[in-house]
Amino acid sequence: MTQSQNIHEETAVLSLRGVSKKIGGKTIVDQLSFDVREGEIVGLLGPNGAGKTTTIRMIAGLIQMTEGDVFVRGSSIRHEWKKAIRHIGAIIENPEFYPYMTGYDNLKQYQRMNEWISNERIDEVVRLVGLEQAMKKKVKAYSLGMRQRLGIAQALLHEPSVLILDEPTNGLDPAGIREMRDYLKTIAREEGISILVSSHLLLEMEQLCSRVVVIQDGKLVTVRAIGGASAAEEKSFVRVMFRVGRFDEAKQVLGSQEHAEILQVAEEQNELLVALRYKDIPETVTALGAAGVPIYQITELKQSLEDEFLKWTGGNRIA
Amino acid sequence: MLSFNRLVLNEWLKMSKKRSFFIPYAIIAVALVALSWAFKRWGGDMIGSASEFTAMMSSTSFFGQFTAMLAVIFTAGLVASEHSLGTIKFLMIRGQSRGKVLASKYAAALLFTLSLFVWLMAVGFASGAAFFGMEAGAGAWRDLWIAGGSSFVYSIVYVTLGFMMGVLTRSTGAAMGVGMAAVVFSSLTIPKSFYKYVLFPNADLSVYSHGGQPPIEGMTLPFSIAVLAVYMVLFLGASFVTFKKRDIA
Repeated sequence: MTQSQNIHEETAVLSLRGVSKKIGGKTIVDQLSFDVREGEIVGLLGPNGAGKTTTIRMIAGLIQMTEGDVFVRGSSIRHEWKKAIRHIGAIIENPEFYPYMTGYDNLKQYQRMNEWISNERIDEVVRLVGLEQAMKKKVKAYSLGMRQRLGIAQALLHEPSVLILDEPTNGLDPAGIREMRDYLKTIAREEGISILVSSHLLLEMEQLCSRVVVIQDGKLVTVRAIGGASAAEEKSFVRVMFRVGRFDEAKQVLGSQEHAEILQVAEEQNELLVALRYKDIPETVTALGAAGVPIYQITELKQSLEDEFLKWTGGNRIA
Repeated sequence: MLSFNRLVLNEWLKMSKKRSFFIPYAIIAVALVALSWAFKRWGGDMIGSASEFTAMMSSTSFFGQFTAMLAVIFTAGLVASEHSLGTIKFLMIRGQSRGKVLASKYAAALLFTLSLFVWLMAVGFASGAAFFGMEAGAGAWRDLWIAGGSSFVYSIVYVTLGFMMGVLTRSTGAAMGVGMAAVVFSSLTIPKSFYKYVLFPNADLSVYSHGGQPPIEGMTLPFSIAVLAVYMVLFLGASFVTFKKRDIA
């Protein structure tokens, strides 16, 4: 990693500090703190009702927080709302537009609300989301995917530093989801924008984000890097399932191996789940062979984000 | 100021880009032309000139009340429809303060009401001129301004009431319903002393013209203006306080 990247990683574009929301006596978001750094795509992950949407709305200043504060490029959303919100572009739940107006007229509405947005900027964002052909059509004739793209155009119009998206792939078909993902990655790269995206779709997050913030019941559960160095380290240890012929002997052999640990035993299926280092696999197989244990199947079991997610959130409240 | 004007323009476009926007203007035009024809045909010498016809049409007891209703109907959704469409979320995160956004909506509502009255007067006068001629008697212009002006104030009062209901309930239907019901109620008078502090008997200031009797003993023009001012402040105050504080879910 180069020096400049290190510096970039230090600067937080968006910081939440002890953010809480209480409605009545109920705590919906509880002391939530995390950062989104320059150029990063961060996922806000949690089961339904975990407080994702509430958190996002607090960041955008749509609802007031009971405690804590959100800083956008150093400006507090509570005390310097105008300065802070200038750096935020957001789509909250579904992107909604005035259906009786054309896509262009809708964007013009938002252009008039910030002095610095030029007509060229409108053309630029429209090109970026590929809606050139649809600008003269009324929004009521748009498909959901097109509305999502217009939503992104709307969110990018005022050149924000951070894009906040609440369940952006909700209701999209697989092609639409993929398209959305590609757009977001393009935007993060070409516009250098940080993105915070909430979702309960794990696979989605895995493919899109470089980091996930997991929350449940309004509380921070864990912050994980995806595909980063720590994950690679974990990968040097793999979980391998052996289906063998002579079960007891196999168990003995595997148990006596150095750097190997039997995690799970399924006697009826003649299966053994073993954790061992990747480079030790051939050696282990040789040892089993030498002991005369017939091997029918060797499978590496990958622990997906989904498994981890279930582990983090207790697994009983998945959406 | 520039940005406020742009916000008002935004609100105006949101109203005027709807296909239903021309309906109230069309209703007024058709009704006035038909009425002037009917008065000419059957009214005998009742109406002598264009200004007389326009004054009569724009008075609260005639077409002014109906115009007030049109104004209430078409401005009721200004705030509520942002909630029902979901567009409020985009509107509130563009760096313009909530107070300014709401003020621009109210300004657009006033502009729309004013445009209805200008149209009412213009069509009334044109159609009156065609049927009854232009000569105006003494005081005809004064009558015209009193009738039109008091109808305009009357409309503003109920538009403001409907506007507040739209903010408080976030429902276009409720705002429209309450606004219209209030317009209807305003023609009822309960002859009790407390009732003079209620909005309804005070809304129509034209009762004081030509030395007319007030609806309830003890009411005067300054009294009614003061009562209306208090109600307007209350309506707008409730609207702004609620709109600024509200969590947008």
